[in-house]
Amino acid sequence: MEVFFTQLTNGLAVGGIYALIALGYTMVYGVLKLINFAHGDLFTIGAYLGLSLLTSLALTDHVGAAAGIVILAVMVMGLVGVIGILLDRAAYKPLRTSPRLSAVVSALGASIVFSNTVMLVYGPNPKVYPQGILPTTVFHVFGLPVPIMRFVILGASVILMIGLYVFIQRTKIGTAIRAAAIDQDAARLMGINVDRVIMLVFFIGPALGGAAGVMVGLYYGQIKFTMGWIYGLKAFTAAILGGIGNIPGAMVGGLLLGVIESLGAAYISMAWKDAIAFFVLILILIVRPTGLLGERVAEKV
Amino acid sequence: MKKLLLLIVAAGFIAAGPPAAAQDTIKIGLMCPLTGSWAAEGQDMKQIVQLLAGQVNDRGGLLGKNVDVVIGDDGADPRTAALAAQRLATRDVSAVIGTYGSSVTEASQNIYASAGIIQIANGSTAVRLTEKDLPYFFRTCPRDDEQARVAVKTLMENNYEQIAILHDNTTYAKGLADETKKLLDDKNAEVVFFNALTPGEQDYTTILTKLKSDNPDVVFFTGYYPEAAMLLRQKRDMGWDVPFIGGDANNNPDLVKIAGKEAAAGFRFLSPPVPQDLPSAQARDFLSSYKGKYGSAPGSIWAVLAGDAFRVIVKAIEETGSTDTDKLADYLHNDLEAFPGLTGPIAFNEKGDRVGDVYRVYKVNAEGNFVLQE
Amino acid sequence: MKPDADNIRKGVYAAVAVLWILAPLYLDKYWTDVLNNVAIYAVLGLSLNIILGYGGMFHMGHAAFFAIGAYTTAIVNTAWGVPVLWLMPFAGIAAGVFALAVARPIIHLRGDYLLIVTIGMVEIVRIALINNVFGITGGANGIFGISPPTVFGWKINGIVAPGHYFYLLTVFLGATIILFYLLEHSRFGRALKFTCSDEVAATGSGINAAGYKLAAFVIGAVWAGMTGTLYAAKIGFISPESFSFWESVIMFMIVILGGSGSIPGVLLGAILIIGLPEVFQGLQQYRLLIFGIVLVVMMIFRPQGILPPRPRKYPVDKFEKQEVSL
Repeated sequence: MEVFFTQLTNGLAVGGIYALIALGYTMVYGVLKLINFAHGDLFTIGAYLGLSLLTSLALTDHVGAAAGIVILAVMVMGLVGVIGILLDRAAYKPLRTSPRLSAVVSALGASIVFSNTVMLVYGPNPKVYPQGILPTTVFHVFGLPVPIMRFVILGASVILMIGLYVFIQRTKIGTAIRAAAIDQDAARLMGINVDRVIMLVFFIGPALGGAAGVMVGLYYGQIKFTMGWIYGLKAFTAAILGGIGNIPGAMVGGLLLGVIESLGAAYISMAWKDAIAFFVLILILIVRPTGLLGERVAEKV
Repeated sequence: MKKLLLLIVAAGFIAAGPPAAAQDTIKIGLMCPLTGSWAAEGQDMKQIVQLLAGQVNDRGGLLGKNVDVVIGDDGADPRTAALAAQRLATRDVSAVIGTYGSSVTEASQNIYASAGIIQIANGSTAVRLTEKDLPYFFRTCPRDDEQARVAVKTLMENNYEQIAILHDNTTYAKGLADETKKLLDDKNAEVVFFNALTPGEQDYTTILTKLKSDNPDVVFFTGYYPEAAMLLRQKRDMGWDVPFIGGDANNNPDLVKIAGKEAAAGFRFLSPPVPQDLPSAQARDFLSSYKGKYGSAPGSIWAVLAGDAFRVIVKAIEETGSTDTDKLADYLHNDLEAFPGLTGPIAFNEKGDRVGDVYRVYKVNAEGNFVLQE
Repeated sequence: MKPDADNIRKGVYAAVAVLWILAPLYLDKYWTDVLNNVAIYAVLGLSLNIILGYGGMFHMGHAAFFAIGAYTTAIVNTAWGVPVLWLMPFAGIAAGVFALAVARPIIHLRGDYLLIVTIGMVEIVRIALINNVFGITGGANGIFGISPPTVFGWKINGIVAPGHYFYLLTVFLGATIILFYLLEHSRFGRALKFTCSDEVAATGSGINAAGYKLAAFVIGAVWAGMTGTLYAAKIGFISPESFSFWESVIMFMIVILGGSGSIPGVLLGAILIIGLPEVFQGLQQYRLLIFGIVLVVMMIFRPQGILPPRPRKYPVDKFEKQEVSL
């Protein structure tokens, strides 16, 4: 039983990161119905930019660990957000009125460009975040040792999710985003600047990915130029699992995917871990064709 | 924006155009993964072979001709490798070095064999590659069964009773794990755990938790250093102090950087000796010139083995005074004896395998350095 | 006769076909082998085109069917020595049966949900192959020693003589183009495209939409499976990494970049997606970067694909004549 709960927390820790990346994925999807395959690579860029800023500015030495990390995360989010806007301008905006899958291929091309740029700029070897910045305190919850960083990651995911949810549901800009998500032409007629909304979405989505990149770098220590592809695929899976376009859905999907992977690896087969996760996904989609929290809407083609 | 992109593309096409053909050179092919998930290894291989080729040319070349290294990117993927091999085979290369992964090498073997080109692999350890009676195939790396033998010897010497074997389902790691398990079963040692992780991930606590519940005395990890480093680091975070032993794909200084000195200390791995530990003049020269050019010691042992492949080819061409494949193969099979390589003495048996006791045991000390164990 | 657009196009197709057929005469072994890869991926693209282009189903797991065909061939050939070309129909049937079993429960899924399910399918297949499922796939090592095909007692070795293999593949590619052209213009093809553009209207017109989609899925899978035979026999050795999710992405890009639903488009897509990385070999580690940029640029300039399907024409004079006869 102890092992079971340990594995559960292991799964939640991984799932928290999937959820964080899935948030940005689902946000872009919600408005543009675009599967942004380059999202995982924006996450990678966030991790590498975070490393550059961390080592060059030595923020954590000047203002302490917690404040330093927050400042770092904000800077990276800003930079990756700008990259996101540029990506949209260069690769997606010309395809706004084209068949949806054209933008998917453009996204795949952008993904190749990003990951190879990172490889050429930073070199193909894995890079390492400096150690000893994060606290390594271990909590005991019902007798189980849980490192504090797991709470931090899960907490950060939850806070970002709630913040995003409130922003979308309660603010005026959020209403504009929702309106644009439902019907861009109608939104335009209501006086909403849809281009501005899309720009904002392409700032927030990649910025969240960038934040996830910094968090992965800090927590796991090792970053690789190829990691975006794997994390991107997992985040896409998580977003679909929860119902793509739905913000709480991304959170639920991410955590659930992490737990399925962890328990599948522990109790069924380690080597078949990813296959088990996909199998569960397929089963869930057969029963609920639009994901766990997805709304049953007619498809817009 | 569109115009800018168009310009970039045009520049790309111009840059991709064929370089002017150099006359009267000896061409040596290098097939390595310059892109894809093993780009780090491939780019190291390229650096080392180009460095050594530059040295040969500075000395006045080979048989009075300049050496020209022709590079083919295999992308760490069998299909791309087959194309890279066809490409090198049509470029009049006298011999080919490479490549890294066993299945990637396998896809290219028959192409070189039928084109009559010597191939010296540097990082392809699967046993069956040299069991096909290919007269022109050699490798500077040892085979999985040889490494497994040394691994089992090390495990037995330390009196471990319950052994866990963890691999990553790649050809190399699975091969080494299988060979090791076979030998351990023969010795009636108890393998309490035999399974694979998924390479390329960051979080292996699930696997470590499962491993721990099987209570092994030692874990033998046959995969690669990025995963090994994450395992060591997360094992430390869990507060579990089981000893870890790794295969030769862990011989990379990045291992300690990623895991951290504290977590890596005490980790042992098997590997051919690195140039730093060899007394020979060649190894010392190589190290100092590599450091002079690239600013650090070479990372991967496999890339150094590519360098050895190059040096062996140069030696064979010098000794035979020819680039004829049969003469070179004959020389490498029969006449090359204890050639002072960057990774110890080199000679090949009739199968093309490197002979001799190549493996050593290394241990990571508290300062994070790899220390050769005697 | 004034050359109109139609005749120019036909002339270009004929010229390309002639250039293609004569290719081994003026290209070296390497470039011939690049064309062999182009041919294999062209057939894979055409088979995916039935599902994705005509059927409109977002399918990013086509490598799974390719893998099943290749592995069926490899297993039967190495175990019992059955000539590989005889195994082509069996490889196709194996892939088709698998597609039928998998597609039935998922065919009703919409757009992106179907996309992730097909990605899941190809990943499950790859993981099963790596884990040596049923003990017959050879695990990560794959299967080696697959014999080259024999035609009328003549061995066609894809490794030694890419030029010979080129003609084997060209025959298969040509047959595929003709068959799929006929399919596109058959009742089946029209119904499928109708289903794709408006499923409700199609169902209303008495078309069994789910049945047609399922049939498209199975036909595409059978063809990918048969291509698997030719791939396995060409390279003589197969391993799971040749059938990864990324391979599926490559096939997907071929169809969309070339022009979804257009046979000439898919053929051009295969030439670009498979050929360009080889053209860029001289750039070494920069080649994929440039390839990615080219991909984005081509998509931006030709959002419908480079050669999108031409709209069906209803010549006015035909209708005028009918009016007169009334």
